[in-house]
Amino acid sequence: MLLLDYQNVLIQSVLTERFAADASPVSIDQTVSDFDGVTFHISTPETRTQIMVSLQIRCYQDLVRYGAEEVLNREYGPYVVAPEPGYDFSILVDLENLPATPEERGELVNQIALLKRNAMAAPFEQAYQEHYHLKAEASKFTSEEAPQGMREGGAVKVVQYREEEAIYVKASHDRVTVIFSTVFREETDRVFGKVFIQEFVDARRRAIQNAPQVLFRNDPPLELHGVPGVKNTGTGEIGYVTFVLFPRHLTPQRMPDVISHIQTFRDYFHYHIKASKAYIHSRMRRRTADFLQVLRRARPDHEEKERKTASGRSFKAGV
Amino acid sequence: MSQSLRPYLQAVRSSLTAALCLSNFASQTTERHNVPEVEARTSPEVLLTPLTVARNENERVLIEPSINSIRISIKIKQADEIEHILVHKFTRFLTQRAESFFILRRKPIKGYDISFLITNFHTEEMLKHKLVDFIIQFMEEVDKEISEMKLFLNARARFVAESFLTPFD
Repeated sequence: MLLLDYQNVLIQSVLTERFAADASPVSIDQTVSDFDGVTFHISTPETRTQIMVSLQIRCYQDLVRYGAEEVLNREYGPYVVAPEPGYDFSILVDLENLPATPEERGELVNQIALLKRNAMAAPFEQAYQEHYHLKAEASKFTSEEAPQGMREGGAVKVVQYREEEAIYVKASHDRVTVIFSTVFREETDRVFGKVFIQEFVDARRRAIQNAPQVLFRNDPPLELHGVPGVKNTGTGEIGYVTFVLFPRHLTPQRMPDVISHIQTFRDYFHYHIKASKAYIHSRMRRRTADFLQVLRRARPDHEEKERKTASGRSFKAGV
Repeated sequence: MSQSLRPYLQAVRSSLTAALCLSNFASQTTERHNVPEVEARTSPEVLLTPLTVARNENERVLIEPSINSIRISIKIKQADEIEHILVHKFTRFLTQRAESFFILRRKPIKGYDISFLITNFHTEEMLKHKLVDFIIQFMEEVDKEISEMKLFLNARARFVAESFLTPFD
């Protein structure tokens, strides 16, 4: 399990169980957590045959601004209902009106398990559309005479998906730039993060020529100049990871995969930092046990000597 | 073992063997106390001249002998930021388990990464040459371990980065 899944596995398993042809309806009330402080609530509010899945996401306001509602309506059209109180978005599935074939049901389950991915996809999709638009505009000019505004590209879309971390998406006529800001609380994480990021930066040069370009810096990149909420702390605690998506990643056919994949970057990155720390810890534990073994050898063995009484009989003490 | 490491370890081994000549010695300043003189530093006449064996500016060993105790401090090679973090993590891991290591000092002395304190009570119940072996083996393996961990980290990072970027290809 090297790459993270795009869907939420718990939602998937709960719904698969409920959607099975021979499953009897039961009442459900389950809260499910996902990355980035996202919470889902699976419940049967009125009758057991109606399952409601609600999503609560920190940056929903940001996402709505970038067209999340259209994306979600497109994906879940007939199932969308008014959001449950305390949540941002809800869908209601009636078990009596499920699609007929198991394949279609499986598809619906996967669709629902991708709720977070679809909500987060909105700014990316918008950036893609913007890119197509700018590209069409730019093809009318040669590169020298293009108006200034066109080369700069569109406005930066900010998705503040965690307390201190955000995704910035910016489209221009020949690329889409995705910038993740990520915080390292500890010195160790910072150093490990640097090692990992360096490999991301180098991977393109070494092995995968067609991968997006990855850049890393500790101060905000120029694209984010003047964007509200971007602070230069100067402490090196915040890192900015830039992915530059080139036209070959920006074709409409590849759009869903690229969007799903790039969303998992932060979780993937931090997951592997933690995993390396855990491995190194277990390694140190083993090595320490070896050292103790060596030190124990320094203690001379206490041989059991046969003790004898004055009359020459042997005995064992303390038995 | 590299060519320059062998004489370095040999020098440490000889110096340690010579320095580990300890006897029971009660405190001269406090009645009915028996403390490691190298730590208490209350009677200068029982302290011997400290000795530093250095392989280069980043790797050295300080041996401070006294009449009833000896303190050995090791500075482990740290070529870059990663090694620095790994050394720090590893030595902290060890010092937190100082109880079971008997001769490990809970806190390294200033300028070194890890310190050992051997008293006459340790040499009475443990074999002296085996204690020296332990220190030498520790020095050998700690370097190896750090560089292996660093290699592992780089290899993992590379693999992780490549697998993330491959789906874009």
